[in-house]
Amino acid sequence: MRGQYHIIVQNKRLRYEFDIRRNITIIRGDSATGKTTLYTMIALAARQGDSSGVDVQCEKKCRTLDELDWKIVLPTLHDCIIFLDEDNLFLKTTEFARLARNSDNYFAIITREDLPNLPYSVEEIYGIHTSGRYHDMKKIYNEFYHIYSGETLLEEVRPDECIVEDSNSGYYFFRDICEGKGISCKTAGGKSKIKDKLKESEKENILVIADGASAGPEMNELSQYMKIHPKTKCYLPESFEWMILKSGLIDGNTIQDILEHPEDFIESQTYFSWEQYFTNILIQYTQDTYLKYNKSKLNESYLHEKAKNMILNVMENIIF
Amino acid sequence: MLKIVFGDIENSIYHPPTYFDNQYEDEWITDPLSVEMIKDIDKSEVISAHLIVSPVLGPISTKEISGGVKTLILMAFDESEKVFNASSCGDNCAKWIVEIGRRKDLTINLHHVLDFSSAGEFDALILNTGKIVHGYREYLDEALAIKER
Repeated sequence: MRGQYHIIVQNKRLRYEFDIRRNITIIRGDSATGKTTLYTMIALAARQGDSSGVDVQCEKKCRTLDELDWKIVLPTLHDCIIFLDEDNLFLKTTEFARLARNSDNYFAIITREDLPNLPYSVEEIYGIHTSGRYHDMKKIYNEFYHIYSGETLLEEVRPDECIVEDSNSGYYFFRDICEGKGISCKTAGGKSKIKDKLKESEKENILVIADGASAGPEMNELSQYMKIHPKTKCYLPESFEWMILKSGLIDGNTIQDILEHPEDFIESQTYFSWEQYFTNILIQYTQDTYLKYNKSKLNESYLHEKAKNMILNVMENIIF
Repeated sequence: MLKIVFGDIENSIYHPPTYFDNQYEDEWITDPLSVEMIKDIDKSEVISAHLIVSPVLGPISTKEISGGVKTLILMAFDESEKVFNASSCGDNCAKWIVEIGRRKDLTINLHHVLDFSSAGEFDALILNTGKIVHGYREYLDEALAIKER
């Protein structure tokens, strides 16, 4: 499944309106914001249709799954947006992650748990807030908001240490940038080890660079860490390969078109996480050129002054 | 005292709202503590044990209060020795967990790191490590070092 889908779920008193644009969307946040009510309304509409009194408007079929028979039902569903509530113990199992990976459905999951088996994006973690009353003043209007922001750093950041999630090309790039500037650069060797590296560090102004496309499971803990260490900042682009594509270093209108609305190009069944897609198109578009990309070993051409600066220009408000 | 255990444990209720729907006692709902928690979290008024008035949904039954408040009420009043999963609670419930922990010995189970930053001063015993933490900073340091979720 690919594409962005606008969903309206409403009854006489409540209206929810939001967009889903990746295979995995996480809905969390404070208690009493209407998460379970949204789930219940979708479940009712899926079970009873029009006779439920719930109106669900979406180009794709919206439905729910239950603990009892999810293993039987999920493989029979195609091209649906499946909503899952937090009472399902199976959400954190590797079996669910495996079935979700091979599924051509999108999943919207209500949970506060991190679900490390699922590589969901920082950009697709939402809370629900009430934005007012709708038209006739009887209906409460609810919409989604981003809980975290991946790329945007509002203030200028001058790191004295970089912790890079990646241990391959991305790490080699940033190590080269930091070298000679008195900035230490370490690889975390995976997103789940970022916290350990932060704990080990004796520096104050730390910049964490990780793939936002799959760093969602780390965000609750990282954002709390940043609350008590406010000089630690996170820069979370989709991936290092996305930064190269975004920089304009690789010619082509198609690339810029893809980056403007990647959801229309990325088939969820093929790419569990968007970073895999960006790596693939970077390899494809640089094949047989001097910028030929290799994920495990950085092509030195990316370290030439002009290329380096173009890639760094993607990172707003970060001064190395 | 508040005791916190991260990860899967025996005797834990994974989804307290369901347990609440089937086990709550009428007098729990009209207790001043519940009335205050329902007012604070759900912005709703307790009219009686069977009727709550929500600003969003209008008159609702007790079973329609939020999952977070249901979990808090269980923590405060249930005497079955069950341990309730506080991952059913949003961060806006943290101060109430601390408050209930001041009133009684309370053990909670967590499958994520609940944000206690708005809960004020508190002490808690982290059962995974046996360490007593004083305040949010120590709690977070300890919680982040624990692998169980």
